Amino acid sequence: MIHIIKFRGKKKRQLHEKTKAPEKRFSGLTFLPVFLTAVCIISTGLMAAYILWFYQGSYQEETSGEKYDRYYIMITQDDKSAFWQSVYEGACERALQENVYVDWLGNDRFQDYGVEEQMEIAIASGVDGIIVTASEAEEMTALIDQAAAKGIPVVTLYGDNTLSARCSFVGVGGYNLGREYGRQALRIVEERLAGTTETLVVGTQDRPVRVTILVNSYTKGLDQNILYSGIQDTIEQERGDAVIELSLHSVDDTNAFSVEESIRDIFMEGDIPDILICLNELNTTCAYQAVVDYNKVGVVSILGYYISDTILNAIDRNVIYATVDIDTPQMGGFCIDALQEYHDLGYTSQYFTADISLVSRENVDEYLRREERTENE
Amino acid sequence: MSKMRDVSLQLKISSIYIITNLLVVLVNIVLIVGINSMSGRLDMVYQDNRHLNEFSDAVNALQDDMTDYLNVKTSDSLENYYRSEQLCRNMMADLNEEVTGSVFDRMERNIRHMTEVYLDEVAKTIEAKRGRNVEKYRLHYENATRMYDYTDTYISDLNMEQFRSNSERYSELQQRFRLFEVVSVAAILLVMASNVCIIISFVGTVIRPLKKLSSQADEVAKGNFKIALLPVESKDEVGVVTGAFNSMVLSIGRYIERIRESMEAERALKERELLMEGHLKDARLKYLQAQINPHFLFNTLNAGAQLAMMEGADRTYDYIQKVAQFYRYNMKKSEETVTVAEEIEMVDSYIYILNVRFAGDIHYEKRTDESLLSVEMPGMILQPIVENCVNHGIREMGDRGVILLSLYEKEGKVCISVKDNGVGMSREIIEKVMSGTYREDEMATGGNGVGMDNVISRMKLFTDNENVMEIKSEGRGKGTEVCLYLQI
Repeated sequence: MIHIIKFRGKKKRQLHEKTKAPEKRFSGLTFLPVFLTAVCIISTGLMAAYILWFYQGSYQEETSGEKYDRYYIMITQDDKSAFWQSVYEGACERALQENVYVDWLGNDRFQDYGVEEQMEIAIASGVDGIIVTASEAEEMTALIDQAAAKGIPVVTLYGDNTLSARCSFVGVGGYNLGREYGRQALRIVEERLAGTTETLVVGTQDRPVRVTILVNSYTKGLDQNILYSGIQDTIEQERGDAVIELSLHSVDDTNAFSVEESIRDIFMEGDIPDILICLNELNTTCAYQAVVDYNKVGVVSILGYYISDTILNAIDRNVIYATVDIDTPQMGGFCIDALQEYHDLGYTSQYFTADISLVSRENVDEYLRREERTENE
Repeated sequence: MSKMRDVSLQLKISSIYIITNLLVVLVNIVLIVGINSMSGRLDMVYQDNRHLNEFSDAVNALQDDMTDYLNVKTSDSLENYYRSEQLCRNMMADLNEEVTGSVFDRMERNIRHMTEVYLDEVAKTIEAKRGRNVEKYRLHYENATRMYDYTDTYISDLNMEQFRSNSERYSELQQRFRLFEVVSVAAILLVMASNVCIIISFVGTVIRPLKKLSSQADEVAKGNFKIALLPVESKDEVGVVTGAFNSMVLSIGRYIERIRESMEAERALKERELLMEGHLKDARLKYLQAQINPHFLFNTLNAGAQLAMMEGADRTYDYIQKVAQFYRYNMKKSEETVTVAEEIEMVDSYIYILNVRFAGDIHYEKRTDESLLSVEMPGMILQPIVENCVNHGIREMGDRGVILLSLYEKEGKVCISVKDNGVGMSREIIEKVMSGTYREDEMATGGNGVGMDNVISRMKLFTDNENVMEIKSEGRGKGTEVCLYLQI
């Protein structure tokens, strides 16, 4: 019996000693299921993270956009041109600095509505300010007055309505612009008289230089008159011996596509002018295309308005003689400044004039390079 | 992990089953929740459009009701108008009022304001109509209608814009849904693969010790008990079985060892017995060789003794009687265990015979402790020693030879000493005699053929002790003493 007890004791000790070594091996083998379980949990976690991401994504979509203090609306006649785009961008940039939001009403909505109807919509929308390309029409005056009566300040942009209660006008210095056009027209005449263009003998009593200014029938008003008088004054004062015949051609801009037709009519009539002065971007582009189509390059010199890719290229190709670059972002910025000032102080400057500069063959390269740079950016 | 090893096999298997199933259930729950929420989002995409349509319908209804009232001026139409107007106002209140960066928000805000103006104009129209102010209500009606046109257009625009945006979002959601499906399938496959791996690995972990156990059991079944003990990796049923197996292997090994040991002891015992028997047989053979026919000799001697007695020759009778006694002892006691007294008596007879033969040349003395006479010892031990004393020790000494036999107790042992004053023995011869390598021409000495090596061997076997005899001699001519040691 004693022997058995001793024997058992020994056996236990032996077993214990032998079982010590394989401990590590056992834990090494059990690592695999633990690792795989971890993989499972991680994959489930990733899936949960994916769902969370999904929710966050849709939540952000819904709640984008911060709040703004004021809300202005810009209404223009011609909506798609680069000129107005640039004005709107300038206005937006300035507005965002002031924590104001500007919507361009006719940009993609209410395109079928006229300026007056858009004004009505803007007034009914209860905005904090309206920027409108006005005319001297009485209806417009009434609408501006109505807005003012409701406490909505109106800034007229580019086209003014002097009789209304608009708080400010932002535009181009019409007279100065006219004088610039006049000077450019005279330069063309000079070049032609100097024989640089041999095809025509112009500037004499028998064959006066015909200068036609394209004016919009809708926006016919004081601004264009000032511009016209600027041209007229310059030509009168500086023409020298040259005989220059100045005329206005009314472009029908009441319908959607009438401008282009109206300009083409000039070339159809036969009495083609020597110099065409265009007072907006659309007219410039249409006139340029007409000159090319009717093979009058070199015969008709175009003085354009504003810069776009097409216009700059046309200058580069000698089809358009020169164009006027208006600081459109500045113009847009002025509109916001005027409205903000009016809101804050109760009054503002009556006139804001945007800077203008001339683009001709001499400096068109610089503009083209700048455009190219902007596009690349 | 050690706790895991302690749980039972049943619990292990159950828990692994539960864990893998839980994983699958968990993944499925996540997927179901995901799918539900996504389909919910898909349903919500066009909700804005629905609201806007409802609002548009309400405005249209109001316009119709107003026109109806202007046409017929019934109380029903007025009631309808009020109801529509209230509905419009309620729905208008839900529209956004803030100016935000979101075009939809701004459009909603504008629509809200325009609707307010419109409702105002409509109210004025109704009021003028009720007041029968024809001119005024016509004017307000025109204004209201114009405003209605604007509002309607605005709502349509917003609706269209939202629809466009929502459509984009819908398709985006659908794409995400597809992606989610792919992710889901991947996750399910992954979990499934992981589960398979877990189960395979777990089953492997459980089966591995069993496999080892079976291979070891196989080894044991083949008779190999010298296998390495299996490590007990867990305290589950497999662990218990492994432990029990180890114990069993150890036990069997030990039992086999013990059986082997006992068998070896038995074998040694038998060997000793055989050896003893062999020596006795050898002694008897030698003795038989030395006599012609003992029975014949006894009878002859007895006849001689009777003749001597009839003739009155007492000394002859004594002599012959002693000789007969000597041979009889030799015949009877050589294979038995005898007492010391019997052996001494035998020596007495032997010396008497010799003294008769050689006319009393040997002086024989005895010093015996009477209490030790009953001690047992093998037979035919003392006589060969005394014979050696006579033959080799004192033969040449004539009547000067003395033999002293002593029986005494020394250090818990019985000591029988046979001492002579003969020629003595050199140390080499003593060592040869003790180691059993000394050989002489036994027959030439005229002894009874029982050699010293036989005496030593039998003493050793009898006492089971190596130190049974000692031969002392101080050198040439100084006599020899042979001491025998017996257990009491």
